[in-house]
Amino acid sequence: MASFMNRHADSSVMVRLRACLWSGKSPSPVATWGLLMILLAVIALLSLLFGAGAVGPDRAWLALSDFDAAAMHDSEAHFVIGELRLPRLGIGLVVGIALGIAGALLQAVTRNPLAEPGLLGVSAGSAFAVTLAILWGADAATLRISVAQLGALGGCLCVLAAARLQGIGNDPVRLILAGAILSGLLHSLSSLILLFDQYTADEIRFWVVGSLAGRDATDLMPLAPSLALAALLTVILARPLAALALGEHVAIGLGHHPRIVRFLVIVVVALLVGGATAIAGPVAFVGLVVPFAARALAGPDIRRTLWFCLPLGPIVVVSADIVSRLVVQPSELPLGVITALIGAPVLIAVVRRRRLPML
Amino acid sequence: MSNTLSTTSRSTKHEVTLLSRTQTSSHTYTGKFLLTLPLGKRPPLRIIVDKRNLLANLLMVGLLMLLTGISLATGSAATLSGPATLGALLGHGSALDIFVVRDLRLPRVVAGLVTGGAFALAGCLMQTVARNRLATPGIVGLDNGATAFAVASVVGTGISLAPPAMALTGAAVAAALTFGLTGSIGVRGYRFLVAGIGVGAVFGAITQLMLTRVSIDAANAAYPWTVGSLNARPAHAVSILSLALLPAVLAAIRLTRSLTVMRLSDAVAIGLGVSASRCRLMALNVAVILTGLAVAVAGPVGMVALIGPEFARQISTRNTVPVVGATLAGAIVMLAADLLGRVIFAPIEVPVGIVTALIGSPLLLWILLNPNARTTP
Amino acid sequence: MTQEAFVYAPADDDSAPDIATQGLSLAYGNVPVIEGLELRLPAGQVTAIVGPNGCGKSTLLSGMSRLLKPRAGAVLLDGADIQRVPSRELAKRLALLPQQPHAPEALTVAELVRFGRHPHQSWLRQWSADDKACVDEALELTGLTTLAERPVDALSGGQRQRAWIAMAIAQQTATLLLDEPTSALDLGHQVEVYELIRSLTAAGKTIVMVIHDLVGACRYADHLIAMHQGQILAEGPPGETVTADLVRRLYGVDCTLITDPATGAPLLTNVRRTRDVLDGSAT
Repeated sequence: MASFMNRHADSSVMVRLRACLWSGKSPSPVATWGLLMILLAVIALLSLLFGAGAVGPDRAWLALSDFDAAAMHDSEAHFVIGELRLPRLGIGLVVGIALGIAGALLQAVTRNPLAEPGLLGVSAGSAFAVTLAILWGADAATLRISVAQLGALGGCLCVLAAARLQGIGNDPVRLILAGAILSGLLHSLSSLILLFDQYTADEIRFWVVGSLAGRDATDLMPLAPSLALAALLTVILARPLAALALGEHVAIGLGHHPRIVRFLVIVVVALLVGGATAIAGPVAFVGLVVPFAARALAGPDIRRTLWFCLPLGPIVVVSADIVSRLVVQPSELPLGVITALIGAPVLIAVVRRRRLPML
Repeated sequence: MSNTLSTTSRSTKHEVTLLSRTQTSSHTYTGKFLLTLPLGKRPPLRIIVDKRNLLANLLMVGLLMLLTGISLATGSAATLSGPATLGALLGHGSALDIFVVRDLRLPRVVAGLVTGGAFALAGCLMQTVARNRLATPGIVGLDNGATAFAVASVVGTGISLAPPAMALTGAAVAAALTFGLTGSIGVRGYRFLVAGIGVGAVFGAITQLMLTRVSIDAANAAYPWTVGSLNARPAHAVSILSLALLPAVLAAIRLTRSLTVMRLSDAVAIGLGVSASRCRLMALNVAVILTGLAVAVAGPVGMVALIGPEFARQISTRNTVPVVGATLAGAIVMLAADLLGRVIFAPIEVPVGIVTALIGSPLLLWILLNPNARTTP
Repeated sequence: MTQEAFVYAPADDDSAPDIATQGLSLAYGNVPVIEGLELRLPAGQVTAIVGPNGCGKSTLLSGMSRLLKPRAGAVLLDGADIQRVPSRELAKRLALLPQQPHAPEALTVAELVRFGRHPHQSWLRQWSADDKACVDEALELTGLTTLAERPVDALSGGQRQRAWIAMAIAQQTATLLLDEPTSALDLGHQVEVYELIRSLTAAGKTIVMVIHDLVGACRYADHLIAMHQGQILAEGPPGETVTADLVRRLYGVDCTLITDPATGAPLLTNVRRTRDVLDGSAT
């Protein structure tokens, strides 16, 4: 039955695609995806042009149009773009992709449209682990990333255990509540630790609200291996995950192993969220907004949702970052504040629906 | 049975009363006694008093007095003996002792008593009308709303209302948003709780936004409001809350009978002559006012609103709405948490908000995740 | 058990109630369910409101018990609009048993039945000999005296429903509105509840019940109201009202009607789907 449905879905896509090509009416998914990529490019350009400092869009544009020459006549713009805005853009892209994909995967594996790493306590778990690590003297960026990923894995396993509990798994809303409480608990524990240790407090206070500022391009390097692993696993897991969406029994019937799939997906989510949290701090709601928009554009199939998360995640994070720079010039807003302001209304909108769709 | 009944005839009430006296009935009000006050010609007042609830409340009053004594006697400045504390409280003893007890510790203890009572009573009322043990003002976003507005007045965003008035407005706005967005409370299960988390997140973000925009001094002045602490309670806010708490408790006692029926369901309550919507509105109003004013004193110590009523329900008779018990238990929890935070890692003081969160969160998770735990209060 | 023990205490007002609707329009949100309904219920009898799912019968009961505010028109109790009667006053005259009510955990039968006295009490006058007498009688009448201290959720389905009815009886109203009192009960428990309802009518109460079970309605009701799409298709004594044509228009099934030799009630046999419905041309 599942294969029938898949074939049916595929054929309808083909029909629609063909219809679009010939009639030029409503955009096909491919065209939508292309448009999103163009939008992302525009936003990336904007993020290079606008900033909180003295380098305005006109100077930035001049510097960008001839980057090497700018090094000579406008060294400030050259420095701001090359050393500050470009790394920041890169981090925004990585964080956006990581959080968007992680959200989509977590929602698919818990079959819960509200499952979001930040709301479920995955980010909080990772942040708590980092707090502990800094408290015990950890400093190297690599160590912090793996610690954050371990913490995220812990958070994920808590979520999965809660979702497997009777009565919670089939009530999306209760799971979110449990996650919110877990986040609150871990946050209080972190606060308690910060009370005792002034050094840790200073080190962490800025990091804990979530921000892309003050990060270095070299921060990204240690992240590369785990991100590559996550990407590979995501590609492998997409098909079984789509089968899992039809129910565990159907997936077993189709020759998949739900337990293994679920565990591997959780590992991927932990790698992605832990990595993103390590460089940008806990940024909530991105993993809710991005898959929500992706499903609206691409339909329920997880494979296409994942494709759409690729441009959508960075679009959300980078544009939120631009806003965070511009709203309170000359200082900056934490990124997490902006994403919360965007994401909370989406959360309420989803909850307000008469029926929560089971994923 | 029906053929017996077919021969029955109508009788007057008088006969019924007489009959019931001769009749022996198997059920009695166990554990309760009737307080009868004759009123001359008018029918006497009759109030059912639940023995266990009475006992529980007396016990809690005793515990509260004990905790108050300990809180007044202990602290980083000096630890006094019992008689010395009492003496200092009454104005005897060394000038330093009198200063420490009366001017430093007493205001803090009073603030703890009233905020704890206010938070817990608000929690008890909201849990009851929502028919959900998790539906405390903190979860539903009231604490964050009140905090955001209070911070707005402290950091000077051009709004010159006093923090209590601002916190009250914030709590009301958050409540209106949460309940307005989800239609009705208690009807759609857990959804309004998640909507409340969303509303709370928005207000939390707004608070962060304001704190990052202002100078360090202003941010430091507003900081106690963001963690929840009894350390920086403004005196006028305490007195406003104290003035509001007494009528609130009386109103809650007045509502108790309706609330007890409301626990069943709206339809049953309406059938029994309770205006469900009016009762709910009144309970929510009291909860919003108490939460707003309490946040203006101590910041978002929302977990007391969960722990207090929970504790009261454990020691009260089942299937009652222990409004007085919850108020007392909240005060106990607040005082105990504050004492713990001051003593356990002295000289570092752990804010009461963190202590209660560390106690309350596992409790919340247990209620939520334990399949056998009741979710209705 | 002497007969005096069963003496039934009458409602506060001794006159038989007169319940009617006048141009009653009810809606859920913006969806109109009932428009301009005119209805008068016979006093001292069991009235059953039947009809297919979504025909508006539960909505009508909600309107009559003030759970739902009418969009237009009114429900009149003894000539007065129930929206204008103080809610506690109304609760002394009209008792309501909602569909499948849920009792809080560990609530005992006696505690539940005591809730029925709520409209008769006030904060300062919480308990009187009258209250005790009424609770005792309600328990006696429903045969729950020996189960009074048992938790409601430990009872069987029929006993639980009887406990809820006992609560409504303790309310001492002339009229009882019951929303599907027998759904979700097995046959034995259904009969248990039906017989209790009959005995209450014998004691002088007016009963209005919404019910799914047409056969039960024919057997136990004095008056039948058949609703379809918010309109009354037919009303009257079951024996005269229920026809094969009515059943087809209500439920889209054909049947053969015979008279129950034991009770004289109409009995539906050989029920099958109507051809026109299968063809999709039925109205």
